[in-house]
Amino acid sequence: MQPKRKKMSLQKRHNLIGWAFLIPASLLIFIFCFYPMVQAILLSFKKGMGAAGVWNGIGNYTRILKDKTFRQCLFNTVFYFIIQVPIMLLLALILAQLLNNKDLKFKGLFRTMIFLPCATSLVSYSMIFKSLFAGDGFVNAILTHIGMQPVDWFQNAWAARFVIIIALIWRWTGYNMVFYLSGLQNIDSSIYEAARIDGANGIQQFFKMTIPLLKPTILLTAIMSTSGTLQLFDESVNLTAGGPGKSTMTLAHYIFNISFVETPKFNYAAALSVFILVCVAILSAIQMKVGDSRD
Amino acid sequence: MRRKLVSAILAATVVGSMIAAVPVAAESNDETLTVWCWDPNFNIYAMKQAEAAYQKDHPDFKLDIQENVYSDIETKLITAATSGDYSTLPDIFLMQDYSYHKDVTSFPDVFTDLTDSGIDFSSFSAGKLADSTVDGKNYGVPFDNGATIMAIRSDIVEEAGLTTDDFKDITWSQFMELAKTVKEKTGTPMLTTSGGSELVLEMLQSAGASPIVDGEVKIADNEVLAQAVEVYATLVKEGYMTEYTDWDQYIASMNNGDAAGVINGCWIMSSIQAAEDQSGNWTIVNMPALDDVEGATNYANCGGASWAVSSNCENTDLAFDFLKSTFAADVDLYDDLLVNAGAIASYLPAAESSVYQEASDFYGGQKVYADIVDFASQVPAFDCGAYYSDIRSALTDVVTNVVQNDADITSELQNAQDTVEFNIEG
Repeated sequence: MQPKRKKMSLQKRHNLIGWAFLIPASLLIFIFCFYPMVQAILLSFKKGMGAAGVWNGIGNYTRILKDKTFRQCLFNTVFYFIIQVPIMLLLALILAQLLNNKDLKFKGLFRTMIFLPCATSLVSYSMIFKSLFAGDGFVNAILTHIGMQPVDWFQNAWAARFVIIIALIWRWTGYNMVFYLSGLQNIDSSIYEAARIDGANGIQQFFKMTIPLLKPTILLTAIMSTSGTLQLFDESVNLTAGGPGKSTMTLAHYIFNISFVETPKFNYAAALSVFILVCVAILSAIQMKVGDSRD
Repeated sequence: MRRKLVSAILAATVVGSMIAAVPVAAESNDETLTVWCWDPNFNIYAMKQAEAAYQKDHPDFKLDIQENVYSDIETKLITAATSGDYSTLPDIFLMQDYSYHKDVTSFPDVFTDLTDSGIDFSSFSAGKLADSTVDGKNYGVPFDNGATIMAIRSDIVEEAGLTTDDFKDITWSQFMELAKTVKEKTGTPMLTTSGGSELVLEMLQSAGASPIVDGEVKIADNEVLAQAVEVYATLVKEGYMTEYTDWDQYIASMNNGDAAGVINGCWIMSSIQAAEDQSGNWTIVNMPALDDVEGATNYANCGGASWAVSSNCENTDLAFDFLKSTFAADVDLYDDLLVNAGAIASYLPAAESSVYQEASDFYGGQKVYADIVDFASQVPAFDCGAYYSDIRSALTDVVTNVVQNDADITSELQNAQDTVEFNIEG
């Protein structure tokens, strides 16, 4: 009698193969992403450096409440978020709608041009905006040319914040537009035909059909922009260096300063990072709730 | 086929980069020291010259000089200290003076105490030495000089009917009068600045005061500091000094005549000298002193770096002897560095060499180097403490708010005091 070789069912074997493919990547993600994240969370509950760290309970978190610089940076970040994200998403939507027009000529060229800012590195575009808005820069040259007063863009808090918002819109609108464009192209053109036959005009089509059908894409871009804005770093560091004073400094920039510029306080920096994580999670949850298509 | 080739190349690249990432074990050659510094034309050049000088008597001696941007050096120190693995550190590294106290206090295990290394620290300028001295122990061999100078355009000043001698050994109130004259006669502001709190801190140091008194933060109720902020604000508001937030614009303002002068560490001279067409039109004098402050001088320090020996250095005797016989003894080395790298020594005996006595055509025949070393020897020692970076940042906020928003100096200084105290208690 031959010993019956234990055979796996096809289902099981497929599953195993699937797992085998998943394991290497998952393992790497666990080691290099999740493990440091857990360590960072543990760090945020400690006091003192390295092995000398002792448990500090929620000391670092209560410290956040008393931190004036943190409040300033939180205000800046929330300000960028509230002003910049809606403007950017609306612009991206309008641009996508325009470029989705089948009869438009040089469509590819326009799309490339609008997407191109995303291909520039964060640091180099910051430097370009810095020189554009410099005291003797291009923007001031135009302002004086049309008879207006030149502005000290980087020495006035609100002007500097304005520059950051303009820069962000320039850099990220094209990126979001691409998502909308692909979303729009997935909408069957026959439903528009049907709507036209029923007498819906362009505006009605846009608000009653395009927007609802694009809802998942809008949700996606909204969540990505939220998380991106709360983690804003390069623009704050390179464009304004957080100045004047700390009036344009973002939370991520502040965390960097706490860790590497000022006398290092890694535990507190970790606590602030966890705070940002929680904020992003809460905001995303709200957006998902609001954007939920199921009733 | 082509796709296979491409993927093979990609795979090879990945594997190759992994192999390359494995650090090559350091040679355990007894006579080799590893050094980290950052500027090929400046401190790397200096180390190479020092190596050559030391090799004359020690033919087997070798330096392994590795170029590292300063922020990378600091990040690597922090990484080594927080992980407790000091084996990644070199034997000798260059540290910016302003972060010495911070790093020695936060990561004492990174550094080797040089107090008993046999190096004669008394032959360096006291103001400079204080930066790398923590709790009375020496942790660095001073390298380049950061003595504060006031560089002024003699042609602009003379156009206003003044001479450069009028600007020597003066106080800030006298300076305001002179700047007023220059502004009225020529329309040019006397000074340019890149903003921030550097100038305020230099004024503070020149008066022998400090934001740290007996280990306690003293920003609020610090009369000298309040006066320094006041002087700064007046300079800007009266149009005697223009603020540029961008470094390139700041440099340009000196080179294209938008300002008749500048106050900064003497390393700014290389930027001034970039405008070769202005040769002969510049003069170096000391900075103005604060009025009515006891012990106020015309001398301060801004920037500069010092050599540190790491705790990972196994052959400390060799490192000590190398530093002792080069940067703490070799006048010829400093002569070479002055001529070829523009590095002005903080080693006082170097100033007596003939090279330092040479007149500079760019500065209208002035013996600028001898003058600067003389300035450096009179700089009051300045205790900046471990929280200097925090203090600088808080004072930058004070200066910005006072200048831009007309904020009240007293309450702004109180805010800065609160901020720094808050940072320290964490």
